[in-house]
Amino acid sequence: MAQKIYENALELTDLVKDFDGKRAVDHITMNLKRGEILGMLGPNGAGKTTTIRMILNIIAPDEGKLRVLGEPFSEALKNRIGFLPEERGLYRKMKVMEVLQFMGELKGMKPAEIRRKGREMLAQFDLADYEHRKIEELSKGMAQKVQFISTILHDPEVLILDEPFSGLDPVNIEIVSNLILTMKKRGVSIIFSTHLMEYAEKIIDSVVMIDQGKKVLDGPLTALKAEYGRKFVRAEYEGDASFVASLPYVSQVRDQGREMEIEIADLSRKNELIRDLNDRLVLHSFQMAEPSLQTIFIRKVKEGGAQ
Amino acid sequence: MKILAVIKKEYREIVKKKSFIISTLLMPLLMAAMIFLPVWLMKAGRGEKKIAVADFTGQVFGELQATAGKPAVKEKFQLNTEKAPAAVAGKLIFQAVEITGADDETLIGEYQKKIIDKEVDGFLMIPADIKSTRKALYYSMNVSDFDTNRIISSSIRTILAKTILLEKEIDPLIVNEATRDVDLDTFKVKKEGVSKSSSGMEYMLSIMMLTFLFSILMGYGQLIQRGIIEEKTNRIIEVLISSLHPHHLFYGKITGIGLAGLTQVLIWILFGVVLLVGKFFPAVDQSLQGLLTPEIAIYFIVFFVLGFVMYSILFAIIGASVNTDQEAQQLGAPVIYMLMIPFFVGMMVTQNPHSPIAVVISLIPLFTPLLMFMRIVVSMPPLIQVFASILLSIGTIMFLAWVGAKIFRTGILMYGKKPTLGEILRWVRYK
Repeated sequence: MAQKIYENALELTDLVKDFDGKRAVDHITMNLKRGEILGMLGPNGAGKTTTIRMILNIIAPDEGKLRVLGEPFSEALKNRIGFLPEERGLYRKMKVMEVLQFMGELKGMKPAEIRRKGREMLAQFDLADYEHRKIEELSKGMAQKVQFISTILHDPEVLILDEPFSGLDPVNIEIVSNLILTMKKRGVSIIFSTHLMEYAEKIIDSVVMIDQGKKVLDGPLTALKAEYGRKFVRAEYEGDASFVASLPYVSQVRDQGREMEIEIADLSRKNELIRDLNDRLVLHSFQMAEPSLQTIFIRKVKEGGAQ
Repeated sequence: MKILAVIKKEYREIVKKKSFIISTLLMPLLMAAMIFLPVWLMKAGRGEKKIAVADFTGQVFGELQATAGKPAVKEKFQLNTEKAPAAVAGKLIFQAVEITGADDETLIGEYQKKIIDKEVDGFLMIPADIKSTRKALYYSMNVSDFDTNRIISSSIRTILAKTILLEKEIDPLIVNEATRDVDLDTFKVKKEGVSKSSSGMEYMLSIMMLTFLFSILMGYGQLIQRGIIEEKTNRIIEVLISSLHPHHLFYGKITGIGLAGLTQVLIWILFGVVLLVGKFFPAVDQSLQGLLTPEIAIYFIVFFVLGFVMYSILFAIIGASVNTDQEAQQLGAPVIYMLMIPFFVGMMVTQNPHSPIAVVISLIPLFTPLLMFMRIVVSMPPLIQVFASILLSIGTIMFLAWVGAKIFRTGILMYGKKPTLGEILRWVRYK
């Protein structure tokens, strides 16, 4: 089967999904460019998982169009997609290689091929000795890796990850982040959803922000940050910073106790801000910065968001 | 073929289970015990019984010893269908009790002790006024030994009748003729001809097979249910249906588990064949050979598969609809009742396999695999009814599979609260 040339690995146009009269996804449009990582960000309950389920044809959209790898969804496409669901777990009583066998065969792989690639990948992830262990005997991190292997074993062209960081400790978050970047280097297009924006912004190329079923914002990360960037200041400090929000030339503050992100309404008064901070706090650092995704998100939602 | 991967996985998962291996090995032993134990107990229970008789009339004892002392009743659970066996009915030995000078109370007290000490098995007291009261007293450790009770009471009745008639000076020959015993020979009517048989054995066997089918259907049904709930809980199900069509997953599961069940049944049948061919228990084998024919084995497999698939689908639907085992229990109760109806009605059907109500009830879709098979064991129904039952089952299965696949598709994605039956039925209409 000659593979078609496609520009976008995923194209979602005006998707709508209602559940019992409640709109879970409200006219969402987004594209995942080939070879890129797209982060679908938003709080819990924003409609991310529903969107992912529609992409995978697990549920049918009520309205809108969807193209995967350049074509309308079909059973044949399933072998070219890798999917990691939000809550993870595998068959606890099965052995690692048995799980890979089963998942691989479901993606149309031959048993011998699965064994060869499976061993190769287990070795890559330092799990070579666990081939014949049962899933329930593995640590959570190891099981996580096995599930990730089972998701990418068949060399998918597009990878769909639902909340890949949830429930992970920092070490495992690092592991998963690296896995995602490795896949990108191999040319895989990746979309993942998360509500943990600070982890996402380190690896994504583009972003779609969703709140209450609606798209709030989208675009390449660099462009977004540039748009907001010039007006932001990041400061490390000691002291009581509660006064900052009430300064007349400040429009928004995200205070994290020892560090804060300040949006200046009037850039010409930047020096006034430095002076005020210096007078009333012990200031360790002060720099013009790009806003964090979180700040952009909160700002967008406050503006009343939907475009 | 992806469906093959599902079949393989489900099949292996069950067959490798310890519980599968254990139950596969244990069941034949249990079956053997169920067949042989009652037979053995019946034989063992028919040893000689010593019964002390306090005859206050002075007329009954002699006759009792003469009539009931010899085997009075034919073996009821006749095992050998070919030739009438020497009666193995327990022999009753009556001993006269010296009653001069003793009153009832002390006699009863004395013999109660003797019964407990196992000097005698029973104590029979025949009061002087038995002709008018028609009441005798029997003391024994086991008063529910109906055969012994029946022999004693019917013997006394005959003796009393004789005495009364003789007192009226009726010709003793006529008296003997009038009070002679009646034997009831039972015959089984089959298309192939009449054969002498015992209804007890067949009844037992059919109930046994019903229990057998029932427990298998229940066991595997719950297995399917639990498997699906597990997949739902850890969201593997979403990975699965993003890899293959949900209907294929559904059919693959049922096929895989069905094949595991069939494997087990075939192993058991093999056990049975070895047991019969080996002739380890000649007496029992002969009678069993009449019942466990190749025909019955084939029907067993056919109806097992039909029943299995039918109930698997129901259990799979439940598994897909709920979130926890507890919810499954609540929602699954009606299915279990459905399974239990044939179980209870089964007794009636075996006793009267050709009655209109038995015919009708054995053709009701959800009951037919169990009940038609029972009827076949007891007495072969007309072939047209057997075929009707098979076709009905296949039709029901196709319908259930169609509905089930739809419910499955929606149900596996429903998390949170337990759905009502109405909601589940609404899922059928979702596209």
